[in-house]
Amino acid sequence: MKHIIIVGCGKIGKGLALELSSKENVTIIDKSLKVLDSLGDDFNGKKIWGDVLDMDVLEEAGVEKADTTFLLTGNDNLNLVVGKATKRKYGTKKVILQVNDVAKKKAFQEEGLTIVNRTYLIVEVLKKCI
Amino acid sequence: MYIVITGAGKLGLVLAKKLKEGKHQVCLVEKSENLCNKLAGEVREIFLIHGDATYPDILKEAKIDKADVLVSVTSTDEDNIIICNLAKELFGVKRTVARVNDPKRLPLYKYMGVDNPVDSTSIIARIVEEEASFTDVMNLLSIKKGRLSIVRVDIPRDSPIVNKSLKEIRLPPNSVLVSILRGPDIIIPSGSTQIYPDDEVIAATLIDMEKDLIKALIGKI
Repeated sequence: MKHIIIVGCGKIGKGLALELSSKENVTIIDKSLKVLDSLGDDFNGKKIWGDVLDMDVLEEAGVEKADTTFLLTGNDNLNLVVGKATKRKYGTKKVILQVNDVAKKKAFQEEGLTIVNRTYLIVEVLKKCI
Repeated sequence: MYIVITGAGKLGLVLAKKLKEGKHQVCLVEKSENLCNKLAGEVREIFLIHGDATYPDILKEAKIDKADVLVSVTSTDEDNIIICNLAKELFGVKRTVARVNDPKRLPLYKYMGVDNPVDSTSIIARIVEEEASFTDVMNLLSIKKGRLSIVRVDIPRDSPIVNKSLKEIRLPPNSVLVSILRGPDIIIPSGSTQIYPDDEVIAATLIDMEKDLIKALIGKI
């Protein structure tokens, strides 16, 4: 089982957590208790209510032994800061972050992080539909 | 020096004005258009840029590559960290200073290479704690983010050091008596100087020794 950390329990974070938690060892972190509760009984993993800019919270989530960390909050800068820090400090193999702003995606692309941009992805899918 | 400040809130603005008075060149970057328009009329002598400094292009516009220091004092910690990080790694700025809004995030600031993260909450808490707990002790000055403090202590009549000379008084390590204020006189003490009741003593101490020092001077806390 892979150890996976998901930061941000929005639509995408929640969807991914529910999908993965049946097969993998998933920990999800969010600053809102309410959205964590909304995961319901189908979620089979660990929930952490806390602030990921606090490194103690990341360590509580077991970031040192994570195989993959997903940063999926709606805040690009937060995703970038925490993504960079986890890659550098804990050497996580795969760090995947959502960055909604295309200009920012370009500026940080060379960091050895996998940056996912929603607009770009949807445009690519739509192009294939023609 | 050329200093770029990001975030034109109360702190950023006061800082920009002070540095400008000190004959530094200052550029202030602010995200909010409304605030920029308001400030444009108010601070003519400071170079003001409207833009989000977490974008490298905006930092470039502020001529960040020429800056000696970058100071990031926005109210958002992730923005401060990213701005300092960009300034350092992308533009080679030697010194970055930032305001830490939430003290729990201080380790992340340090880890991400912010040279001087200033944890204002903890500094203020320390000062308030001092003001609240000791009535006859007054903090005059804190240096190096509060690690060294200069205090004024009123010596009560029942103090254990009353009528003793300085060489008889045992002070905790890393503490020194700098001066004695007695009525109108200012005394720079030597080993034979005696302490009298109602003297005001000026002492310098490292912060972790402060409580011990005060105990030695007034006998209780």
